[in-house]
Amino acid sequence: MIRLEHVAKRYKMGEVVVTALDDVSLEVDKGEFLVVLGPSGSGKTTLLNIIGALDEPTSGEVHINGGTVSLNSTGDRFRFRRETVSFIFQTFNLFPSLTALENVQFVLDMANTSDSAERARDVLASVGLGERVNHFPHELSGGEQQRVAIARALATGNPILLADEPTGELDFKTGIQILDLLAHQAGDGKTVLVVTHNREISRIADRVVELSSGHIISDGPPRTGKAAIADLQW
Amino acid sequence: MTNMTLWLRWSWRDLRARWLQVVAISIIIALGSAMFAGLGGVEDWRIRANDLNYARLNMYDLRMALSDGSYLDQDELAAALADIPGVARSEARLVTPTLVDASDGGEALVVRGEIVGVDVSDGGPHVSSLYVREGDGRTLVEGDSGQPVAVVEYHFAAYYDLEPGDPIRISGDVALDYVGTGFSPEYFMIIPETGMFFGESSFAVIFVPLETAQQLAGREGLVNDVAFILDEDADSASVQAAIEARMEGAFPSTGYAINAREDTQVYTTLYKDAESDQWMFNALATLFLFGAAMGAFNLAGRMVEAQRREIGIGMALGVPRRWLAFRPLLVGLQIAVLGTALGLLAGLGVGKLFQGMLEDMMPLPYWEFSFQFGGFLRAAVFGILLPVVATLIPVWRAVRVAPVDAITTGYLVAKGGGLARFVQRLPLPGKSFVHMPVKNVLRSPWRSGLTVLAIAIAVLIMTTVVGALDTFLATMQQAEDATLNRAADRFLVNLDFFYAANYSGVTGIESLAGADGEPLFTGFETAMIVGGWLIHGDEKIEIALELHDMDAALWTPTATEGALTADEPGLVISDKAARDLGVGVGDRITLEHPHREGLLSFRLVQTEVPVIGIHDNPLRAYTYMDMNGAALMGLEGQTNYLILNPAPGVEPDEVRLALLTQPGVTSSQAVTEFSDAVDELLEMMTEILAVAQGMVVVMAFLIAFNTTSISVDERVREIATMFAFGLRIRTVMRMQMLENLVIGTLGTIVGVALGWIVLNDLFVTVGENEIPDIGFAVTISAETVLLAALLGVVVVALTPLLSVRRMRNMDIPSTLRVME
Ligand SMILES: Nc1ncnc2c1ncn2[C@@H]1O[C@H](COP(=O)(O)OP(=O)(O)O)[C@@H](O)[C@H]1O
Ligand SMILES: [Mg+2]
Repeated sequence: MIRLEHVAKRYKMGEVVVTALDDVSLEVDKGEFLVVLGPSGSGKTTLLNIIGALDEPTSGEVHINGGTVSLNSTGDRFRFRRETVSFIFQTFNLFPSLTALENVQFVLDMANTSDSAERARDVLASVGLGERVNHFPHELSGGEQQRVAIARALATGNPILLADEPTGELDFKTGIQILDLLAHQAGDGKTVLVVTHNREISRIADRVVELSSGHIISDGPPRTGKAAIADLQW
Repeated sequence: MTNMTLWLRWSWRDLRARWLQVVAISIIIALGSAMFAGLGGVEDWRIRANDLNYARLNMYDLRMALSDGSYLDQDELAAALADIPGVARSEARLVTPTLVDASDGGEALVVRGEIVGVDVSDGGPHVSSLYVREGDGRTLVEGDSGQPVAVVEYHFAAYYDLEPGDPIRISGDVALDYVGTGFSPEYFMIIPETGMFFGESSFAVIFVPLETAQQLAGREGLVNDVAFILDEDADSASVQAAIEARMEGAFPSTGYAINAREDTQVYTTLYKDAESDQWMFNALATLFLFGAAMGAFNLAGRMVEAQRREIGIGMALGVPRRWLAFRPLLVGLQIAVLGTALGLLAGLGVGKLFQGMLEDMMPLPYWEFSFQFGGFLRAAVFGILLPVVATLIPVWRAVRVAPVDAITTGYLVAKGGGLARFVQRLPLPGKSFVHMPVKNVLRSPWRSGLTVLAIAIAVLIMTTVVGALDTFLATMQQAEDATLNRAADRFLVNLDFFYAANYSGVTGIESLAGADGEPLFTGFETAMIVGGWLIHGDEKIEIALELHDMDAALWTPTATEGALTADEPGLVISDKAARDLGVGVGDRITLEHPHREGLLSFRLVQTEVPVIGIHDNPLRAYTYMDMNGAALMGLEGQTNYLILNPAPGVEPDEVRLALLTQPGVTSSQAVTEFSDAVDELLEMMTEILAVAQGMVVVMAFLIAFNTTSISVDERVREIATMFAFGLRIRTVMRMQMLENLVIGTLGTIVGVALGWIVLNDLFVTVGENEIPDIGFAVTISAETVLLAALLGVVVVALTPLLSVRRMRNMDIPSTLRVME
């Protein structure tokens, strides 16, 4: 589904060149639940942004769906983000002037879905927020806001979910619930990539890709063994 | 302040980060302060010029004009008025109405006018002198006495580009030798009797030696006008009383009116105009500065919000609040200083430009322009103070918050709510792309309100300026309709005296024939027109009283209330006069009018008469009476005013030229000339309009630009999120435009509404004092509203297009990067 070949990303800041990603090759299958692990500054966000076509690699290639999706023009990339990937952010990035329902409705309207309000209500109910649909983001807790963000990403119906530190702003218990929710999506056939700097979280994944200074240093099942979500602690 | 340069450098960085908005606000400040600086001296310049010209040209202090048709022997009058204490000098003149024909080959140019016979002995006239500019020919000299030599009044000559040597003919088909174009202080402005503008287009003053005037009018040795200059310390009222006593003694049956120069319409208009123009410029400049202050307020609010975390950290570190406030305030100050400095510089140019315009539009012999320190000072103070004060408000609000609130994370994510909750229940149509912009407006009602207000101010300026013209034009249209509702081709002809209606000279006009032998006129009415006053309580209004045989007249006014005739003589007055006097149909008022005492003498008397009707002409002076009122004036069966209906196919010029040769005819005017004057007015106003509109477009645009770029700044994260979800740039753009559309529409509605209020206030209060002669129908035309909408709605709504590039080049990952 997703294939990266020798992807590198460098930032030139005057004389200094910062290498965010260096020769990263990676393949992710449909329906996988993959965690990208690494310390701050290791290039996790950069990787996710490149997969999500928010960013372009300096060199190397990205193939989606066996190269059937072109990402060459700005228009291609906008369409790719509209139809193939959906982002979930650490700071939620909900639209503050819209209610929970409207935040979800927004992406449905974008795709010209009929009955967008009904559909949005359904998706919110599926993430456990059926009761809070008419609240504004600032009236919701962090966990609830992140659920709205997930509902928004799910409502797009896109096959790939990209979550960058989705639990970063949340407490332990809430974080667990959010991860559970995301893991379920992989079970339902979506491809889910979660970025975290927390090794404990990475234990819930089938597969962990570990980054350090822009290199992949390991790729496989969690080093300390896969754990059930209920067993996590941090 | 420990380290001034650090703070300066810091605020300089803030400025640079938002340089586009900074420049936009500075330009608005510059516009406002340039107007203050450059035009701050208009009143002073004009008043000085008025004083100077009146002094140098020896304007009279008092003037005695005998009643129409009254004349006195010049020697007897001189003897009667000799040696009155307090009078420094007096000169008698003969002022007679005439037609002036300045046709030169091609088109006919025949207008009403008057011949002023002045004392040219010994380098005179010494009272109300003539001033002929270099290159405009020569003035009258003693040797011209008795010769057909004339100086033509400047305004008329300039209006038609006449020069000495051009042919000038007057009533009775007399040719005069045009030797110079000159100014007289009594005619610094030509205020027409009907209409309000371009008096000089339809009124010519011809100065000739007194003896010449007497010969031309067939009034040898007679005069009808005396101008006095008083001793410096003389009391005007007691001199006037002395003149009245002498007149009572020598000529008890001769009517006259004495006016001080301060009572003349030209004088009061010149001084009042200076004042009201200044008021208008100041008001405009203030509005600009308010718009700028609004912009500064927005920008400052945005900056302190961005700095709030830093401010919070500062507070946590124990930095005194005034230091924290200093940085954003410094930015406000820098913008204000930059804008004002630009404005003062531009003000120098604006001032020079306006001086030239003044000289063109208000031709006077002498102009002296001094540097207006006061205006520049005011511009500097207002230009700097207003934006700084506007910055102060959000800064003060920011430094008052508790430090914990200021440093809370996630505070950068603006809150929802505001009034958004209220629209929550509203079933807004369409998609969330439509909801969101509306909700963004309501999310921060305070800031949206200010933006709306800023745009409203721009629209207000335009509506007021253009609406004032609409009102003038609508009122003129009303006057025109009232005059042209019937017999629209008719000619109004004034005679130089009262004649029996069946006198052959009068009936001879009726039967005038054209070159083809066909009669020129198919309709003919002998009417009467006299000057007079309406008095009720303390109110006294000058009027022109027309007497018509209402049953047989070619044209009669339309009564909106009451009737045109009654059993006893009664008045049909204008609605404005009725309001000013506080009377209605059925009330009795005092009419002061001339009464014939002898062949050549009239006296003003007062008669109680009822108001029997109100007519539909907005011009206050127009007053009508049935011919049965002629008895009140001792003028039964007389006429001095003819109404003629030209035969089909007869051209106005043919009528004018035919009437010119008729003895006794002093003026002929087609009623349609009134609409020509209105058209001409419209043409001139179009230029002023264009300037006003241009300024408003610039201002509305700058405000809109400022608002949009601030809101893009504020929403940059939201926008990046939309892009992350693949929402197209054009959709985001449409949302931004929709939001601006909402703001622009609100601003336009508020602006037009405020404009309506200001206009009404302007015409009710200012108009009442400055232009009491007209009952204005305050009007904002559909075109004006459309124009306002174009500026306030369309320009504002399209402004986001300017940020298209910025959106296209947005670095989405960096924008979305967690800001910690
Ligand atoms: N726009 C940018 N300009 C310069 N350097 C950047 C930019 N974005 C990221 N970097 C650098 O790239 C590296 C990887 O960043 P990032 O992918 O955000 O790491 P992570 O998400 O793992 O914390 C860091 O060293 C960061 O400083
Ligand atoms: Mg990161």
